[in-house]
Amino acid sequence: MTLAGWTLAQIATVFGIGAMGITGLYLLKMRRREVVVPFAALWERVTRESETRRLWRKLRRLLSWIIQLAVLAALCFALGDPRPSSWLRDPVTLAVVVDRSASMAGPSDSEPGSRLDAAMARVRAALEALGPADRVVVIAAGAEVDVSAPLGVGPEARANLVPPTPQPGEADLTGALALARNAVAGQPGPKILIITDGALDEAGLFATQTCMASTIPCVLHRVTGPPDNLAITAFAARRYPHDREHVEVLTEFANLGDTAVSVVLEVTADGVSVGQRQLTLEPGTQARQILPDLDAARARFVAKLRSPQGRPLAGPLSDDEAYAVVPPLRPYEVTLVTDGTDLFLEAALLTLDDHVRLRGIGPDDAVAGHPSLERADLVILDVADGPVPSPLPDAHLMVFDPWRRPDRAFPLELAREVRRPILTEQDRKHPIVSHIVLKDTNLARGTTFETEPGDQVLVRTLGEPIVVLRERDRGILALGFDPRQTDLPLRVAFPLLVANAVTYFERLQAGFVASVPVGSTRELSLSELGLVDEGVTRIQVTAPSGAQTTVPVDRGRVRLRALEPGFMTLEAVDGSLPGTQVDLAVNQANVAASDLRDRTDQLDLQADAMAGPPPGAAPVADDPIWMTLLLLVAGIVAVEWFSYHRRVTV
Amino acid sequence: MSLRDRLANLRPREGTEVVGDEDLFDEGFMERLELLQVVARRLFRGQYRAERKTRKVGSGLEFADHREYSPGDDIRNLDWNVLMRLEQALVRLFEEDEDLPIRVIIDVSESMTTGHGGKLRYARQVGAALAYVGLANLDRVGLTCMSGSIHETLPAVRGKGRIFRVFEFLRSVPTGGGTDLRAGCKRVAAESSQPGLTVVLSDFYDLAGAFDGLNMLRFRKHDPVAIQVLDPVEADPRQLALRGDVSLVDVEGSERRDVTLTARTLAAYAQAHQRFCEQLAASCRSRGIPYFRAPIEVPFDDLVLRMFRRGGILQ
Repeated sequence: MTLAGWTLAQIATVFGIGAMGITGLYLLKMRRREVVVPFAALWERVTRESETRRLWRKLRRLLSWIIQLAVLAALCFALGDPRPSSWLRDPVTLAVVVDRSASMAGPSDSEPGSRLDAAMARVRAALEALGPADRVVVIAAGAEVDVSAPLGVGPEARANLVPPTPQPGEADLTGALALARNAVAGQPGPKILIITDGALDEAGLFATQTCMASTIPCVLHRVTGPPDNLAITAFAARRYPHDREHVEVLTEFANLGDTAVSVVLEVTADGVSVGQRQLTLEPGTQARQILPDLDAARARFVAKLRSPQGRPLAGPLSDDEAYAVVPPLRPYEVTLVTDGTDLFLEAALLTLDDHVRLRGIGPDDAVAGHPSLERADLVILDVADGPVPSPLPDAHLMVFDPWRRPDRAFPLELAREVRRPILTEQDRKHPIVSHIVLKDTNLARGTTFETEPGDQVLVRTLGEPIVVLRERDRGILALGFDPRQTDLPLRVAFPLLVANAVTYFERLQAGFVASVPVGSTRELSLSELGLVDEGVTRIQVTAPSGAQTTVPVDRGRVRLRALEPGFMTLEAVDGSLPGTQVDLAVNQANVAASDLRDRTDQLDLQADAMAGPPPGAAPVADDPIWMTLLLLVAGIVAVEWFSYHRRVTV
Repeated sequence: MSLRDRLANLRPREGTEVVGDEDLFDEGFMERLELLQVVARRLFRGQYRAERKTRKVGSGLEFADHREYSPGDDIRNLDWNVLMRLEQALVRLFEEDEDLPIRVIIDVSESMTTGHGGKLRYARQVGAALAYVGLANLDRVGLTCMSGSIHETLPAVRGKGRIFRVFEFLRSVPTGGGTDLRAGCKRVAAESSQPGLTVVLSDFYDLAGAFDGLNMLRFRKHDPVAIQVLDPVEADPRQLALRGDVSLVDVEGSERRDVTLTARTLAAYAQAHQRFCEQLAASCRSRGIPYFRAPIEVPFDDLVLRMFRRGGILQ
């Protein structure tokens, strides 16, 4: 406390003189008024009862004298214009960035509540320590960045502060710190205070380190807590490839703490329990549970972790639940371009699953714009001695003997023609040629290919590629022989080869988006979501909380950002099938977000980068203290005046 | 009397001053006395002047009784008819008619002078009014002003024309001293050769002897009448803005007493004063002494007429 006005000696002098005057007046006041009464004997009888209160009356008078001296002291102190030392420093513009990621919902060491509660206590301490010229902005960094208190002086910030709540997912510290720098840049005394538990992802660590290295002073305050947490790290449902009407559900969870935990995993489908397991996880271990052979008619799966005793699990609750939806059964369009002479191939294709829709067209019809080619996911070209269509269809291709007629170009260059090739080498690990044996296959003739980097040679003939898979924008499987000129169709390997190829290309197509993580913005294709994208310009998104928004669709793609775990519903507003709905699961399912351990030790921070203990609250945050003192004096005088005229302190 | 006047009445040390006596018996007062006499005459219609019968048997006109003749009796009173018929010598006795002396005792102690002497002034006016009515009824009226240190007496006078002597006596009598009703009444009783109606005008602010003086008069065959003159502000000091720590000084000179006056204290005093007055009234009633409470706010003539209507005095 520093006196900016009168010196202490001057104040003491004035106070001494004033105190003497007050004391003199007090002594005068102590002289009792003399009142003449006609019947003192009766007065004596009455007032004898109040003798016991005499001591209090004396004390009351003494208290009155002390109050007067206190008033004088307050006035003299006001003349000194006292100011806290914190007011004498240069003004500060402080940006407080509070981590509100999922890990901040974990328990705290210092506070009875969560880490976020401890962080908010530190925020309030920082606000209360501000001087009248200081300004502050409070930014909450969760999956999205919010301003909890706009830039203003301390009292405004305290009044406007909206306490943040933990958000699932990681904190977007990059965006929050960028906002903080922009807020304080150019302001007097810019300063950034990061309050976090240190359980950050790589982006968060990098953003913190970048902030520390910037020209704006940046300090870090860590709220610590036990790292015990059990989290679901993966949860998905998939249809069996061989039985699309049934699904299996995979749950992966990890014990990220330091103690072994017994836990019960329960999986429900559309609200019906379909599986429950109890197991114990050692510290730092992961477990995977698969619930097989579930009916695909139930579309929504929810996995929950809970304590066997029913107690809440340690750590944030957002990672104790996960959601999954069963991918819709979408037909796979296969178009066979053939002259109709290879019945073995057609027979092999007819053995495929029902969801494979097979169409056949002649070589003459295989021109650009043909509906079967336009709609096809896979085109199988088996044109014997006919020409390969030019241009090639815009789909995955499986081409038999593409260089039968060398007058047509083909992406894979011809190496040479081989008579009676022998299939000598086979990549058995590749799914297309796995589980089949080709080495004894008799071939009348064949062609080998020139390969390019990235091409996968599945089968060789004496070291030369004869079956090659090229995957660029689309996949092309080139087989350098005609099945009619081999005995391969007579072998069990042929239908397996065809089925493997179809399955492989089917898996190459845009996969179904079973779930999206919380926080990050993702651009998704409507087809990936299982929606027919023809003519759709808008979709309506219903969040797990029920909030609805309409999102524009640009060329079949949409940008989505999920902020809460659960099931999100997407509905086509227009297009060829308006009103069509699909579900989308939103999960935290992020090991980094669930890991409650402090990772800021990796930053190798200097001592001055760490914020000190919470500063003490400024005595008065708004007006000069002398003004407060004068108000205090006025208040005391008003009370004294009121009580005097009410004959209380006379 | 306005509140401001009330406030002024109990200012320290100022309450002992007595208002001047120049306008005590002015023309207005005389007019009210005349009116009072007219009203009193109506009330006493049918009665004869100076015909209050005593229990003495003497030379009156109204037959009272017979007794045996004894030598020396006036033979004019011998009842000849009885002597002739019964041959018994009896003399006739007659009730003796004599006037009843009225004595008005006024307390002039210091306690009567507080509040600008309002009580004393009121007591003088009431005393003068009673004396005037008595003189007008051909009664003998005497006055005594007394306190602990003063005892002035106006011997009994008769006749309406003596009222000015009464006024002069009341104007000139000194005031002061403590209240000592017992001693004053005892002295009045001792000095009175003939007991009669004795009206005591006082505030009776004497815890020890307030009633004893009246009882003493009664013991000496007087017919005492108590008129307690009260200042309402003194009886209930809550009407005053008197609070806080004060030193109470008795006007009659007792020790000062430091007290803190609060609303509760003032209420307690008002209640105690009320109880004191009720006790005095009860004591008077129990012994057949007429008691009148006379707040000084009530005009004196109203008080006198109220006394006449209630009876018990001047009849």
